[in-house]
Amino acid sequence: MKKVMYLEFERCIGCRSCQAACRECGGHDAKERNYVEYIDFFESRQTYPMMCMQCKDPACAKVCPANAIQITEEGVVLSAMEEKCIGCRNCTFGCPFGIPKFDFEENKMYKCDMCYDRTKYDISPMCASVCPSDAIRFIDHDEMMELRRRRTQMNLIEGKKPSQNDKWQYVPEFFGVYSD
Amino acid sequence: MTEFVTKPGVKNLQHPGEKLITTHCCYCGMQCGMHIRLNEKTGKVVGVEPRYDWPVTLGKMCPKGVTAYQTIDHPERITKPLIKKNGEFVESTWDEALDLIEKNFKSLQGKHGKDAVSVFGGVSMTNEKCYLVGKYARVALGTRFVDYNGRFCMSSAAGGFMKTLGIDRGSTLPWPELEHTDCFFMAGTNTAECHPTTIQWLWKARDKGAKMIVADPRETPTARIADVHLDLKAGTDSALANGMMHLIIKEGYVDEEYVNERCNNYEELKASVEKFTPEYTSEITGVSIEKLVKAAHIYGKSPRSVMMFARGVEQQAKGVDNVTLYTSMALLRGQIGKFASGVATFTGQGNGQGGREHGQKADALPGYRKIDNPEHVKYVSSVWGIDPSEMPKAGVSAYEMFDEIQAGNIRAMHVICSNPAVSAPNNNYIWDSFNKLDFMVVSDFFLSETAEFADVVLPASSWAEDEGTTTNLEGRVIRIRKVKDPIGESKTDWEILKLIAERMGKGSFFNYNNPRDIFEEFRVASKGGKADYSGITYERIEKEDGIFWPCPSEDHPGTPTMFQESFGTPDGKANLAAVEWQEPDENPSNEFPHILTTGRVVFHYLSGSQTRRTDFLMEQCPEPYAEMHPHLASKYALQDGDNVYLETKRGSMTVKVKLTKAIREDHVFIPYHWGKELSVNKLTNPALDPTSRMPEFKVCAVKLKKV
Repeated sequence: MKKVMYLEFERCIGCRSCQAACRECGGHDAKERNYVEYIDFFESRQTYPMMCMQCKDPACAKVCPANAIQITEEGVVLSAMEEKCIGCRNCTFGCPFGIPKFDFEENKMYKCDMCYDRTKYDISPMCASVCPSDAIRFIDHDEMMELRRRRTQMNLIEGKKPSQNDKWQYVPEFFGVYSD
Repeated sequence: MTEFVTKPGVKNLQHPGEKLITTHCCYCGMQCGMHIRLNEKTGKVVGVEPRYDWPVTLGKMCPKGVTAYQTIDHPERITKPLIKKNGEFVESTWDEALDLIEKNFKSLQGKHGKDAVSVFGGVSMTNEKCYLVGKYARVALGTRFVDYNGRFCMSSAAGGFMKTLGIDRGSTLPWPELEHTDCFFMAGTNTAECHPTTIQWLWKARDKGAKMIVADPRETPTARIADVHLDLKAGTDSALANGMMHLIIKEGYVDEEYVNERCNNYEELKASVEKFTPEYTSEITGVSIEKLVKAAHIYGKSPRSVMMFARGVEQQAKGVDNVTLYTSMALLRGQIGKFASGVATFTGQGNGQGGREHGQKADALPGYRKIDNPEHVKYVSSVWGIDPSEMPKAGVSAYEMFDEIQAGNIRAMHVICSNPAVSAPNNNYIWDSFNKLDFMVVSDFFLSETAEFADVVLPASSWAEDEGTTTNLEGRVIRIRKVKDPIGESKTDWEILKLIAERMGKGSFFNYNNPRDIFEEFRVASKGGKADYSGITYERIEKEDGIFWPCPSEDHPGTPTMFQESFGTPDGKANLAAVEWQEPDENPSNEFPHILTTGRVVFHYLSGSQTRRTDFLMEQCPEPYAEMHPHLASKYALQDGDNVYLETKRGSMTVKVKLTKAIREDHVFIPYHWGKELSVNKLTNPALDPTSRMPEFKVCAVKLKKV
């Protein structure tokens, strides 16, 4: 997989299209695996998307006593294998981002697999495909690095300095998820 | 014709045993491109696949778009005609239903005249069907009473564009050009929730430094990212626009050459904005002087800007004035008719653009012709094969049809693709009017709130069960493909109209075998009109990614950018608006001290008849709520989640409170997608714009009580 997932939180409009689309992915059993949350609805309508970081050394897999969470050769961290998962929910607590979900009816964990059935063919995952504001993107690694530098460039061109009101433009507003 | 259309090098996921059919979303005017997944064995629709190569939306979809396919094989679809017997709907055969319709239509027309039967159309259907609704009313039923739900949606934009520019095309520029724009002035449009897939273009421009100015009483997800958020009071748009023009003139931002060459009324406009100093404007609109000045400088200095607006400015008793003023702002800056700049309204309904051009409107004939123009009547009559004397006169607007029911002039109504029991203002009056009808027919594919009032409900097909064309918010004519056959015994709207026409003895005028036959006739009917579709063919649409009207011949490339040389007015010049600020029809008083405004949420579409039946969307937003500032809530000791009782002069309702500081302190906002006791339109004001006859949904005075 040559491409990476790239999140730009500020762009999120809270439409939850990514969640609706997540349910559409072939192996997802019509259950979404990503999150969209308000930062604080009392204050603002700012929302942000959260999804699996596909960690290089994932805590969810490490704490799994049954070795049920597999990592593909491309570095995608898959949902627990049905035949191995014992339903202990260690992974849901182990993950520092709170990503894995637990299906109490099926007694198994499920999580974002970056739409592996799509991304293994270099087709964009459903969430990144539909995101209307490009808050979630599936792009080349080089493009991501260029985008990371872009905001700073724009701020330099416009002579901006961070202030109380636009702190969102200065905190790291993007998050690149990538493997080798 | 090809079912699956894709460009070389674009990868889509093809599941085994499935085929992909290329089409567009059924919901808003963005008409996002999508492929529908069909299981070849079961013939059922199973999902959606992004259409990455559709140039307007690039595969993006909002949550409504992603789940749109779920309404096609929905368990609540009506699959057989329903006849109301003793207050209960009973399934029947088509013959029984048509017999009843024929008997009632004929006897009511025999007793009370042709105009006793009326037609209420909608624009969430293809051009072919919208065209046929007008012809059905005038030829099959011979009634002058035909109008459509576009009156609630965008007739003020149409009226405003007609006055200033002479032609009403929703956008004067194609959407992909927005990437190159320097400044967006967006008034009364919550694009992020109502037309979400536009946001990608705004961000593409912002990444290059473009600015956004958003005028809205709420800090919507759109306003949140604006460089200047003009947090005006609902209903004060004309003062804001006049104030902006005052500053644009004062600061020397007027493109004098453009205005002198291409516009009328500049001196009148100058005189009328003279008094709108930032101080005076600020006093009326409630926007700080600082913000007004900042916005004027950003807008005035931008080499390429687009003026955008939507229902927020249009759904007012002065909606046409607002549109003409905002359009004049773009004209003063010399923006209309140029690359990556211009003026655009966000069309609310899927085919809001096409549907209003083809003669569904009380006073209009196909190709944007007028029914009070004898030449136009003569031409359309010749296409239809009727004598011009048989053409009924102009009718009345959508809301005024209910006045005619109350007056006893309309005795029967056929509602097609619309749900006015939810979407019309002053609901109590609408419901009472439906009850007064002697006979009511509704064509729909779900049992909507309106259908519940009907005597006969005819099962119509969904958007994926028929083919045809729609015209998106840019003015681009696009192809809707048939995914599967209609469910159960349901029929397409054009078949239904044809069957009733046959019963009314007018079958020879409706001799169509497929939508293409209707399209071919419609091309001729629109030829020579303002909205000329005569050069457009299904094949060309497929090959050229849609075609922008006007397109007067098959070798004409279409018109992506409007008004490059001249405007559509008789003298070819745009008419700048010199309009005074007038306050809304209803203002806060001692008895009703606050302003109520209504709108959409991202999870629902119009009256909600489809989206309220979609699981994912209902999980996100199951019921309406009253959004207000904690400051206002504290006056009534209301906490987040408490129930609040709201009352206006027309009606009342109780909903939960949702608190946020992202709204003006003096406003309450309620989304309108629910029916019956949850319908905020029981409260809204039916004051009509004098030109467009559009009701003032966006402003009324309300009182609150904790319950």
